[in-house]
Amino acid sequence: MPPMLRFLIYRLLSIPLTLVIITMVLYGFVMLTPPEARATLYYSAGVDLNKMSDEEIRVLNERIINRFHLDDPFPLQYGMWAWNLLRGDWGYSAIHREKVLPALLRRSPVTVELALYSLLFFIPLGLISGVRAGARKGSPVDGRFRLAAFTAVSLPPFVMAITLMSIFYVGLHWFPPQRLGIQSTLLVRAQEFRQFSGFMTLDGFLNGRPEISLEALQHLVLPVLTVSLGYWGLLGRVTRAAVIEEQHKEHVIAARARGISERRLVWKHIFRNALTPALTSSLLSAAALFTSLFIVEIIFDFKGVSSLVVDFSMPAPDAPMLLGFSIYSVMATLILMLVLDLIMALFDPRLREGVISQ
Amino acid sequence: MRKLRRLLSHWQNLIGLGLVLFFVGVALAAPILAPLGEKWENTRFFVIPDMKEYLPMPPGERAVLGTVALSVQGRQLDVYTTLIWGTRSALVFGVTAAFLTALIGTLIGAISAFLSGGGVGESSAAGQMASHVILRVTDAFLAFPVIAAVVLFVQMVNFIKENAYLYASDGLTFSSTGINLLFERVDPVLLALILFSWMPYARMTHGMVLRIKEKEFVQASQALGAGPARVIFRHLIPNSITPAVVMATAQVGGMVLLQAALDFIGINAGSEWGSLLAIGRRWMLGLQGNPLEYWWVFLPITAALVLFGIGWNLLGDGINDWLNPRLMEQE
Repeated sequence: MPPMLRFLIYRLLSIPLTLVIITMVLYGFVMLTPPEARATLYYSAGVDLNKMSDEEIRVLNERIINRFHLDDPFPLQYGMWAWNLLRGDWGYSAIHREKVLPALLRRSPVTVELALYSLLFFIPLGLISGVRAGARKGSPVDGRFRLAAFTAVSLPPFVMAITLMSIFYVGLHWFPPQRLGIQSTLLVRAQEFRQFSGFMTLDGFLNGRPEISLEALQHLVLPVLTVSLGYWGLLGRVTRAAVIEEQHKEHVIAARARGISERRLVWKHIFRNALTPALTSSLLSAAALFTSLFIVEIIFDFKGVSSLVVDFSMPAPDAPMLLGFSIYSVMATLILMLVLDLIMALFDPRLREGVISQ
Repeated sequence: MRKLRRLLSHWQNLIGLGLVLFFVGVALAAPILAPLGEKWENTRFFVIPDMKEYLPMPPGERAVLGTVALSVQGRQLDVYTTLIWGTRSALVFGVTAAFLTALIGTLIGAISAFLSGGGVGESSAAGQMASHVILRVTDAFLAFPVIAAVVLFVQMVNFIKENAYLYASDGLTFSSTGINLLFERVDPVLLALILFSWMPYARMTHGMVLRIKEKEFVQASQALGAGPARVIFRHLIPNSITPAVVMATAQVGGMVLLQAALDFIGINAGSEWGSLLAIGRRWMLGLQGNPLEYWWVFLPITAALVLFGIGWNLLGDGINDWLNPRLMEQE
């Protein structure tokens, strides 16, 4: 079997295992609540708690408890619940009046678009600036980089969001919040506008309305900057450290002794080897990336996945949606980790062969 | 002493230490710096009594750093008092969260490394299996975004509290169920942060302990008849704790910033700083065209937050230099 395929299969197999562990932990927490609370997870579409009296709710809950055996021990209940998840039945949110899975999926293009642009922005920038600073350690370039990276890492995303917004939106009127302006939002919702991918920056072009794509890009500038800056700093610092460490290795000294040009030395001999530790240690925190994505999404009023669970105007907590959101976030993180792993394995044969583990 | 001098020889370390000491001082001196007295209506936000105004008031006699207006009621929240007393709660929260996270993570990492066999310890198949399971669980937790956990915990607690009356069906009073007892005593945000950020510590300690286990002094201690508990607590943990201490120090700031961010986006996480920023939100991003028109609404608190984060970060770096002389010589 080719090493790349084996690597891919091994990675793919580890995803369900992770999901089983996480869902077990989640359902473990849910099991701490009384059966009546758990009953809300099994409401079917159309249940409207506002129109029901307390007595009716109680009867409904009782029926659900009997039907889904909510008094059973943990393994049986977990199995039942997990089976429902697998079939795509993630429950019904009585508050959003929508099934959980479709609601999450409908909004995920917003989040994914934001994530993609951020990744495409900070990964190349972080790697390049880290290598440049590390290769010339102690130079003015390095000093400036260290200061900038330290500032970027120290500023929390929401402070960054406030600052950027007050300068570029309130002060200069350049980059407004939200995903699109009011007019374009109406346009996009109209029948004629076909949602090909859900990514506004793409759909505008596909519908022959490039101005919508451009507007979407303009609206993406500040959120992407906010998410990226911290990660740029982190990745840049780790890359710098990896490059400095790599420079003292014997193969680099040998290559330098052979008279290889500095440029080739840095990019062919040092960068390739520094890439894996740099990306691994900074992207282990893919989950943290989603945390800052969600925070930024809310501050800039993007109606993304997180707006389903974090909402000022939400009348009451929404248990099925909360669980669905948690599982969704874990799956999104796992997919991101998988993609990044594959990219790294493409670049680094040592990972494919299992010579070094992560 | 030489170590201490080395710690203080770098100006970054000095700044870090200075900032942290400053915040600790402010937290300790809060009753002196901002006496609550009878002048203040002592709520979480320090409302100035007998004052009705719908716009934030600039710094003046009655409020040293100005006020933030609490939307409809026209109540005025004092910025200065929130800043001072917020330091205290931020410090307590950050240190508790970071310390407990580090403690749990280190213990889990040490135990899993001890069980995995080789060198000393149980090298049975069962031990290996257990170690493997612990590592898998750690990896699984790494895929869990903290914000999802916090939202889940906070909302679940609200949910249970709101629906408490529905559950009195089987004669069991509601307060006797496990989760309610737990959340009555523990802050759900703190719990969520701790439960979902111990993983890096566990992985790090696991690696460190595996290396130390091979060392002769550990084997000698075992040969002399020391039990597993003594080996773990006397030898393995003390010798592998350095990176955890460094990480925990830097994380104090991170925890507080995250708590404030959660409050800012509308999840009630209990950070005074974050809540005041959230209340003042509409004043910082109004359409006045001048972002600094109501500067006192957000500048002092934002500055405090950023400095808090920077201080602990620098202190973490400093402790790293201090405990890792090899790094200092490389510089």
